[in-house]
Amino acid sequence: MAQSRRRSGRARIRAERSFSGGWDRHVRSQLTFGSDIRVSDLAADSLAEREFELSPGQTEPDGTISRHSSDQNGNPQCKLKLRALLVEDEPADVELALRALRDTGLEATADVAQTGDEFAELVRKNSYDVILADYKLPGWNGMESVEILRREGLDIPIILVSGALGELTAVECIKQGAADYVLKDHLARLPESVRRAMREKKLRQDHKRSQEELARSNQELEQFAYVASHDLQEPLRMVATYTQLLAERYQGKLDSDADKYIHYAVDGALRMQKLVQDLLAFSRVGRQGMALESTDCNTVLEVALSNLKVAIQESGAVIRHGLLPVVMADVSQLVQVFQNLIGNAIKFRGSQPTLIQVNAEATAKEWIFSVRDNGIGIAPQQTENVFVIFRRLHTRAEYPGNGIGLSICKKIVEQHGGRIWVTSEPGCGSNFQFTLPIKATIQHR
Amino acid sequence: MKTPREILMVDDNPADIDLTTEVLARSKADFHVNAVNDGVEAISFLRRQGKYANAPLPDLVVLDLNLPRKNGCEVLSSIKTDPALAKIPVVIFTTSQASNDITRSYNLGANCYLRKPGNLPEFIAVVQSMAQLWLSFASLPQREKR
Repeated sequence: MAQSRRRSGRARIRAERSFSGGWDRHVRSQLTFGSDIRVSDLAADSLAEREFELSPGQTEPDGTISRHSSDQNGNPQCKLKLRALLVEDEPADVELALRALRDTGLEATADVAQTGDEFAELVRKNSYDVILADYKLPGWNGMESVEILRREGLDIPIILVSGALGELTAVECIKQGAADYVLKDHLARLPESVRRAMREKKLRQDHKRSQEELARSNQELEQFAYVASHDLQEPLRMVATYTQLLAERYQGKLDSDADKYIHYAVDGALRMQKLVQDLLAFSRVGRQGMALESTDCNTVLEVALSNLKVAIQESGAVIRHGLLPVVMADVSQLVQVFQNLIGNAIKFRGSQPTLIQVNAEATAKEWIFSVRDNGIGIAPQQTENVFVIFRRLHTRAEYPGNGIGLSICKKIVEQHGGRIWVTSEPGCGSNFQFTLPIKATIQHR
Repeated sequence: MKTPREILMVDDNPADIDLTTEVLARSKADFHVNAVNDGVEAISFLRRQGKYANAPLPDLVVLDLNLPRKNGCEVLSSIKTDPALAKIPVVIFTTSQASNDITRSYNLGANCYLRKPGNLPEFIAVVQSMAQLWLSFASLPQREKR
């Protein structure tokens, strides 16, 4: 405790001496007002990169542990070192701000920038934990530093430390990206504001990190699905063809149990084959880049219908469609969307003659496509589930399938920058709708 | 008596060789399937080297792409650049659907590229069509005596 008190005492003296040495404009921006010289040596090591834990004692680089300092009320405060950049033309205000921080255990080393150029140079050269900016400065205002940070791609919290700005200006500054606004008359608020801004920055960084982590693990999973399904095909082909050969050669020559078992084996192998193929198709969407081109949806529908020819003939389904637009899309993927949606409409048909209507209408920004049927429909609580991979609402005996089709549709539509959803009334039919942007804005992966 | 049509099948999967042989045995025409399991063996067979000194010159080569030691494309290239072998029709019979495999095979002189189907009915149809086309319907150059 004694050691820490002595050190902070020395720091205060050092800082004061710096100011008493006069305020030369040339050296001003390069001066480091250190509360502790070792701190400034360390300052480049961004605080945010170290664990920002408000632990009661922190290990110093030399292995000593700094204990709590106390504020005026004797409350223990956690000692934190940070490197600040002050955008300020009043030396006295700089010292006041630093003192306010120091009083609560925030040991700040500070550089000072007075012009936009100085500011840009300093943020480029050094890494700062926080920026304390006055609003009104000769020739520029502190908010311009927000723009400079944005241009430099830096995420450093800016706290406006200023005289009264008026509510509108203050709100506008926050909107533009200032983390907080502290009145020079209420500098006691500054330490908490700094602490909060740094906590928020840490949260932002953690969030970004976990987003990146998620994207990476998703990509790995897709890669795995692709490799697994690809390599599964070859052994599966053996199982499928040879169980079929067994069936062909020995059907009716063994006993009825043998016939049944062989049938199970053949059926299982063929289903697994279909599953692996569909999984492969699912993982291909997004893995292979899209070939975006001007695509006539009328042609796309024609291709999809011709692929479904057998199912259409067998079911006697009638498919009507309006005039469909030309969009920017990957043709084969869009064919797949129509084919899966219409194929489902046929598969889940009701007792009355099957009627499927395909239409498109334009809003200001997007086309809304609809595939409406008069089939068995979907219970309202299931309308989101149907797009989840492997999710099936019926037994295989009722309706065959593996629950991949609609998840492929969703993936394709979203990759094209659209949305897909379904509205339905059980027993009356379903209406699957999806959007595609009128101006193709593509979501890059 | 008519001599059987000689087929050289190059495939490292015995199950595919057996299945192809089984399917060809069902057809009325008289086929004889010679099977080797890698690319080096295939070339030895075609050039009648070593244990293949008495091997017949095949009427058709059925070639997988993914082979040990010497892959299908290398075998294909050796056949099509050898004046003694170049006119033998080569059918690529593989699981690969990669478009670069297809293009490369035709560029190297493959006569036909067929994907191995995943189920028996299609497998039978493909193998029978292949044999019928290349060994019955197609007019091929006169065989040289050897």
